[in-house]
Amino acid sequence: MSLEIVTANRLRDGRAVYLGESGWSENLQAAQVAGSAAAAKALLAAAEANAAANAVVAPYLIEVADEGDRLVPQRLRERIREQGPTVAAGARPPVREVA
Amino acid sequence: MYRYDEWDQRLVDERVAQFRDQVARRLSGELSEEEFKPLRLLNGLYLQLHSYMLRVAIPYGVLSSRQLEALAHIARHYDRGYGHFTTRQNIQFHWVRLEETPDILAELAKVGMHAIQTSGNSLRNTTADQYAGVAADEIADPRVYAELIRQWSTLHPEFSFLPRKFKIAVSGAARDRAAVKTHDIGLYVRRDQAGELGFEVLVGGGQGRTPMLAKTVRKFLPEADLLSYLEAILRVYNELGRRDNLFKARIKILVHELGLEKFTELVEAEWAAISTGALRLPRDEIARIRAQFAPPPYEAIAIPVASLEAARRKDPAFARWLRHNTAAHARPGYAIVNVSLKAVGEVPGDIGADAMEALAGLAERLSFGELRVTHEQNLVLPHVKASELYALWQALVPLGLASANVGLASDIIACPGLDYCSLANARSIPVAQRIAERVAALGREEEIGELRIKISGCINACGHHHVGHIGLLGVDKQGEEFYQMTLGGHAEEDASLGAIIGPAFSSADVVDAVERVIATYLGLRHPGERFIEAYRRLGPEPFKERLYAAH
Repeated sequence: MSLEIVTANRLRDGRAVYLGESGWSENLQAAQVAGSAAAAKALLAAAEANAAANAVVAPYLIEVADEGDRLVPQRLRERIREQGPTVAAGARPPVREVA
Repeated sequence: MYRYDEWDQRLVDERVAQFRDQVARRLSGELSEEEFKPLRLLNGLYLQLHSYMLRVAIPYGVLSSRQLEALAHIARHYDRGYGHFTTRQNIQFHWVRLEETPDILAELAKVGMHAIQTSGNSLRNTTADQYAGVAADEIADPRVYAELIRQWSTLHPEFSFLPRKFKIAVSGAARDRAAVKTHDIGLYVRRDQAGELGFEVLVGGGQGRTPMLAKTVRKFLPEADLLSYLEAILRVYNELGRRDNLFKARIKILVHELGLEKFTELVEAEWAAISTGALRLPRDEIARIRAQFAPPPYEAIAIPVASLEAARRKDPAFARWLRHNTAAHARPGYAIVNVSLKAVGEVPGDIGADAMEALAGLAERLSFGELRVTHEQNLVLPHVKASELYALWQALVPLGLASANVGLASDIIACPGLDYCSLANARSIPVAQRIAERVAALGREEEIGELRIKISGCINACGHHHVGHIGLLGVDKQGEEFYQMTLGGHAEEDASLGAIIGPAFSSADVVDAVERVIATYLGLRHPGERFIEAYRRLGPEPFKERLYAAH
């Protein structure tokens, strides 16, 4: 059984959040980890109750690896959700000439 | 430019109030997400990987300086200081908060803008040639017709719940700069033998999972019949379009399944019943709209302009920019200026709030306060005096907006991809950046000439990869990003769909693969032959051989 945590988007601002012991947080490292199918099911059920109470939108389980000092999502999509876009945006330096 | 009348303004003001109420009810829990989602989508509000994304309509790609300033304000105060121009001539803000969205819509309404029908299964923003009204090769100004379509399609009660989204594009020029054949309905302005204006009407184009080019259903439709004929097409689609299968719901599938002849027959029969009704356009109504797009007060300018010629000779970097980023204007002594949003290493289509404001100021001073957005994710200043071009270029350089690469290999269309989009399978932006950097390092971009590279992060094809000379489609292979390459696509009047060249390339290999395609072309082209012409002459074999020989 792989390790799983629950993620969702926060209703008010849409930010990626993770379900931890003390509620939803933008910090994935604070997420509560399920190590069994039963634990994952319980975790998702708690999250869905939060969604019904309008804290978050569309919670779902994601797989993570415990790399000792940090939890790392297995899918690239989820790593990008955690860390933000892999490209800097918006700030344009002076143009570099294309020969 | 078209100016909102009291009806237009009331409509957007009412929509702000309505959405404010809907958001309040969602936040209070009165509306569930299931109930709210279709409401937010009617207002261009998506939930993406990191945040809500608001897509703002820019009707047929026409923007005033004042509107661009308002977009800069929104970027700075409600987002993270930038916006992203899309292949639909719209702008997206990727970091908005649900609770602030009604305030953003209110800011937009102040400058006659909104996000209505920028998502959902509705008639989307009609797109047009970015050189509308100023192109030297123009038959008639497509903005007039795009505006008539905007008024007809906005909150059209019969077409608010179509089987799927619906996109219309209009070109009024000899050269198609609006990718007309990739749209659900494409319109080419034509004149008949008597010199009367009308349209060639094409239906059933689209990209996505099943790419198809639009087919002609009518060689010539008189101008006055535009809206009634569109209504007839939409009625046939609304009734017979597939609602049982998301992947078969676009009109292209209906046209394909019925056959062009049968489809046309149904449209003509529907049209016969409504063609003399209320939608028939009176000449004075067309004239009223046309008057809104009257040319600005141009000066009479003698050509050639000596100061321009002197600057061109003096400054090679300026001369290069003139070659690639300006286009012939209908009026002597004026030029159309393309402002590239494709600086090497930057995000295609992105622009920061400071640059937006600076550009709005330049448009105000040098282009009668007007700008355009292109489907290739660049901006245009449509009316610049030739004598001002050097000063404009000098002002664009420090803003990072003077890349002299329009139509060249580093002018890449890229969707937001997996960096932002919840539908994406792979990233588009970093691949575009790496290709642009490679092309720059090769130092042969001008020698390569016109080359359209287009990248999509998923099969929905927002990055137009099917009509890229080189198209790249991001796919997920067991958790790894791979890129399927198509060659030979083209988006203009002689449009073609690209063909898959072979197995997909890994992210690590894809830039080398693009370079090999370019090298193959350079080695085999005839003098003066553009990439697309060479590919059409040579076929895929030499490219395939070079790409996969080492594998």
